[in-house]
Amino acid sequence: MSEVRPVPLNLRNSRILPIRFEYYEPTSLDEALELLDKLGEEAKVLAGGTDLIVKMKMRALEPKHLINLKRIPNLNYIVSDSESIRIGALTTWSDLEKSDIVKNELPALYDAVKAMGSLQIRNMATLGGNICNASPAADSAPPLLVYDAKVKVVSKQGVRVIPLTEFFLGPGVTALRSNEVLTEVVIDKHNVSVGSAFVKISRVATDLAIASAAVMIKLKDGILEDVKIALGSVAPTPVRAKSLEAALVGRPAKLEEVKQYLNLLEKDIKPIDDVRGTAWYRREVSKVLVYDAFLKALNRLGGCSL
Amino acid sequence: MTAWSFLGSKTLRKDSLAKVSGALKFTNDLEVPGMLIGRIFRSPYAFADVKRINKERAERLGAVVITPDDVPQKLYNPRLVSVHEVTFKDHQVLTKRPRFVGDPIAAVAASSEELAQRALELLEVEFENIRKPILDPFEAMSPDAPPIHERIMKGDKWVEVKNNVGAELTYSEGDVDEAFKKADVVIERFFKTGRRYHMQLEPKAVLCVPHTDGSITIYTTTQTIHNTRILVSQIFDLPESKVNVVKVPIGGSFGSSIQTNVIVPIAVALCLKARKPVKIALTREEDMYDHVGFSMHFRIKAGATKEGFLIGGEFENIIDIGAHQVQPYPLLGTSLGWFVSLYKWRNIRYVGRAVYTNKVPGCAIRGYGAPEVTWAVETIVDELAEELKIDPLEFRLRNYVGKGDIFWGQGPTVRSVIKSDGVPELLKEGSELIGWSSRGRPEDKKGRFRRGIGVGRGFHTSGAGGPISGEVIDYSGAVLKVNEDGSIDYITALQDHGGGTLDAHVKIIAEALGVPPELINVVWSDTSTTPYDVCTHASRGTYVGGAAALKAAEIVKQKIFEYAVRVLGRVVNPEALKIRYDRELKQAVIYVEGNPDLKITLKELATIAWQRNWGTIAAVVTHRATSAPPSFTVWFVEVEVDTYTGKVRPVRVVAGADIGTVINKDLAEGQLHGGFAMGWGMAVAEDTPYNPTTGELLCRGFITDYKIVTAQDMPKVEDFKVLFAETYEPTGPFGAKGLGEAASNPVAAAVANAIANAIGVRFYELPITPDKILKALKERGEWFE
Ligand SMILES: Cc1cc2nc3c(=O)[nH]c(=O)nc-3n(C[C@H](O)[C@H](O)[C@H](O)COP(=O)(O)OP(=O)(O)OC[C@H]3O[C@@H](n4cnc5c(N)ncnc54)[C@H](O)[C@@H]3O)c2cc1C
Repeated sequence: MSEVRPVPLNLRNSRILPIRFEYYEPTSLDEALELLDKLGEEAKVLAGGTDLIVKMKMRALEPKHLINLKRIPNLNYIVSDSESIRIGALTTWSDLEKSDIVKNELPALYDAVKAMGSLQIRNMATLGGNICNASPAADSAPPLLVYDAKVKVVSKQGVRVIPLTEFFLGPGVTALRSNEVLTEVVIDKHNVSVGSAFVKISRVATDLAIASAAVMIKLKDGILEDVKIALGSVAPTPVRAKSLEAALVGRPAKLEEVKQYLNLLEKDIKPIDDVRGTAWYRREVSKVLVYDAFLKALNRLGGCSL
Repeated sequence: MTAWSFLGSKTLRKDSLAKVSGALKFTNDLEVPGMLIGRIFRSPYAFADVKRINKERAERLGAVVITPDDVPQKLYNPRLVSVHEVTFKDHQVLTKRPRFVGDPIAAVAASSEELAQRALELLEVEFENIRKPILDPFEAMSPDAPPIHERIMKGDKWVEVKNNVGAELTYSEGDVDEAFKKADVVIERFFKTGRRYHMQLEPKAVLCVPHTDGSITIYTTTQTIHNTRILVSQIFDLPESKVNVVKVPIGGSFGSSIQTNVIVPIAVALCLKARKPVKIALTREEDMYDHVGFSMHFRIKAGATKEGFLIGGEFENIIDIGAHQVQPYPLLGTSLGWFVSLYKWRNIRYVGRAVYTNKVPGCAIRGYGAPEVTWAVETIVDELAEELKIDPLEFRLRNYVGKGDIFWGQGPTVRSVIKSDGVPELLKEGSELIGWSSRGRPEDKKGRFRRGIGVGRGFHTSGAGGPISGEVIDYSGAVLKVNEDGSIDYITALQDHGGGTLDAHVKIIAEALGVPPELINVVWSDTSTTPYDVCTHASRGTYVGGAAALKAAEIVKQKIFEYAVRVLGRVVNPEALKIRYDRELKQAVIYVEGNPDLKITLKELATIAWQRNWGTIAAVVTHRATSAPPSFTVWFVEVEVDTYTGKVRPVRVVAGADIGTVINKDLAEGQLHGGFAMGWGMAVAEDTPYNPTTGELLCRGFITDYKIVTAQDMPKVEDFKVLFAETYEPTGPFGAKGLGEAASNPVAAAVANAIANAIGVRFYELPITPDKILKALKERGEWFE
């Protein structure tokens, strides 16, 4: 026999869900957790469905049980107090777009919202879904990574709070256990600066990123006191550029300075070739994206020094 | 300028309310009692043979199943446009020898989509001779490449396929080799285009309904109801009178339904076996496995004298047609037609080959090779002008094929003489509007964001008519009748793809008869009630179809005058009468010039004719155009290249079009806007690459990974100027010519030339993606580090 593998195109039918599954609509978190605990690996939770339903139609996922979270009240909120900003997992991208908290306090996340999908997608898609889907291209990831966000995950056994840096394990793979639901994203205000930005490059408008980058900086007397850099679509998970960050802390907040160290990015990323772009292009353009995000972040701090 | 009553004015489109309210029914919206849903079992291999099919389990589920053994064993070509002797046939309704991933092998029908899907998954198909796909036409032509098809049919004769070349065309004029010797500049370039998917809004669908007398009615996505009927009748040995194909609104096409869609015979076979109505609607991913455009590989060598005249052009054209022929043979002719009709090469040598690969079959895509050829030729012409230090606009003016010249855009057998030509006017006005003279030289442009201005000039034919009957079929028909209240029913087989072609016909009839468009009804007709129309393709809808409508209107007008003479007693003869639209009465009035008292409204006349038993005023016509005049378009595009990321953005656009009399200005502008979007996608984004081992589309048919440009990628509306040349085509209805394809043909050329003007790099492979641009700039040692 030949090594040519059959293409599963007869299994795909995007007009219907071509698989059979049980469907649940719990109305409380406890009920949902109970179900998840019982059904285990064969169950999937459904939020906006903009990733999950697509995968089911493509037959990339064939869950036996589907648990819709959207009937559970109080998982859709954006609140800010003196210490932190907390965002409920079921908050849609459109809710983020309308939020003054996001717009004024988390400009990098706001940039990502503006660059994400189309209006229809933003109306359906949730922040929790974007994180749990764990695509290397997830647009919320680089901003949340530079804000050092944590996620709260809940199961019948209790609550865990996981730093986002430890949450993404691989493409589509997270630290989430099969009986856990992500309920909240928490951002400590000490980790936030208006000097932050996100930029993305894609094939056309309304598209997943070929590559993306977020930068957050804090300045003291023209010196980079704190630098956080994260990139999307250039590694198996969204990644922080720790080598570049380390090199830049304590340096003058000048673009020329940043430029000198951009090659360090190559240590932090591991791009591949795929339908959206080549590894080579991703490597090259990551540097430009970080540079552009830096410029934008500096400008937001009230002016750049070129 | 003539003062028209209706031409050029803005009117509400007849289908607009139904469209915006969602009331309009497309094929997939249709439902009839007892209808089954069909699904197609497609080959999971790009190059294999079927060993065995076990349909037992699927049938046990209650599904109707058909395999290659249940369908007529006939080869066919889904597109009927060439005359029979030059129609190459290699398609089967269902095949045991799949030649691309997606090739239909079997089909099922069941009472619901879910059940049909389950039945599909229960089919057991065993394969043998599973081979590695051949995805490159040059590899396919190599002597040791396995044959994708051994024998195919040409008309009624079997022909052997050699080196996977499915069809070939050669042509020469003068002595090219001698010309290149005499030339002061000769350049030679190799070009490659992408293989684009049409991304028409509506994925293809078909509904076939059987009747007790053995006849069938077909509702389907098609640009041609008559050719669909003829092909079904040929495949199933049914008289045409037993096959009725109904015209259903279609959601765009761009050439994707220029042929009878291969799902039609499959649905017919299912329907005949089930004796129940069967509907098949393709999902988007299946649609992308059903058809894409052709990709083309060119070698062009061109020579010019230092005085700035072209003296020789050599053109080699290798077309990657995919696994089956959807009429690439006429494309070999039109490719040459576009080439010779763009510029006067004076000496020409051409060889064109249509080559099989194990890919999705290519079919016509807006322009039928013209966007590709125009891109290559306009690149070469720019380069020659640069080399000769002549302004590229001047060089074009000196060499283009224009008024008075012999023209054969649709290939060597479709010749006529050009009678209207707005090129000089459009080049002049367009260049002033865009600021051509201050576009600068790429070597002087610095900084991260660099702008460039490019020109692309081209044309499309209006139909494929001509004085001589060549290899191409092209004629149309119309039925027009005046109702008993003076309103009008217009009946035509000609399809409107959504661009408003039939609204143009209505305006032409309105103008001829003075009857306002609101009183003219376009009947959703079918093949049994209409004279033959070949197809809405080749930008012929307005020029040929509109001329048929006008011809019918002229006959109707004569009959109206004959009746009017009887009423308006003192008038000598019908020739003394005229007809016009009366703005106050809001209807047509028949009158005698200079005699204000001698008049009657058409409404009154029609009522009298009815009450007095004079009979219905009607006309049935068939129309063959004896010319296929070019509609010229001249595009100026300004782009901005981000030299750090390689991303290109359109900044400003001037779209100049010579379409003769403009019948629907806003719709014509819409064609140009849409044409730009499509051409821009072709230039910078679109292609369908394959997985080299499985032969699967890398995008898997998903539009999440086959990207077309969006409204957000377009220039702002205020930065998009449209110019219409002041021309009149004497052979066209009220001076009109076509537009659909001319609207897009030179766009990619203009974009590529603009990129070259911005950064001084020419790209010979489409699409010009950011990584290609970045690579080129890096190679030149120019990057932001
Ligand atoms: C046309 C289109 C365009 C898109 N454009 C973009 C884009 O530009 N940028 C981008 O980043 N993404 C894009 N996406 C992807 C997608 O819309 C986002 O990732 C979205 O945020 C997913 O959220 P959802 O609510 O739809 O998730 P779902 O599809 O409901 O779920 C996704 C996954 O997360 C799991 N999950 C969801 N919520 C929870 C939870 N609370 N706890 C535990 N697990 C959970 C699900 O089980 C599933 O595995 C696009 C998608 C489409 C179809």
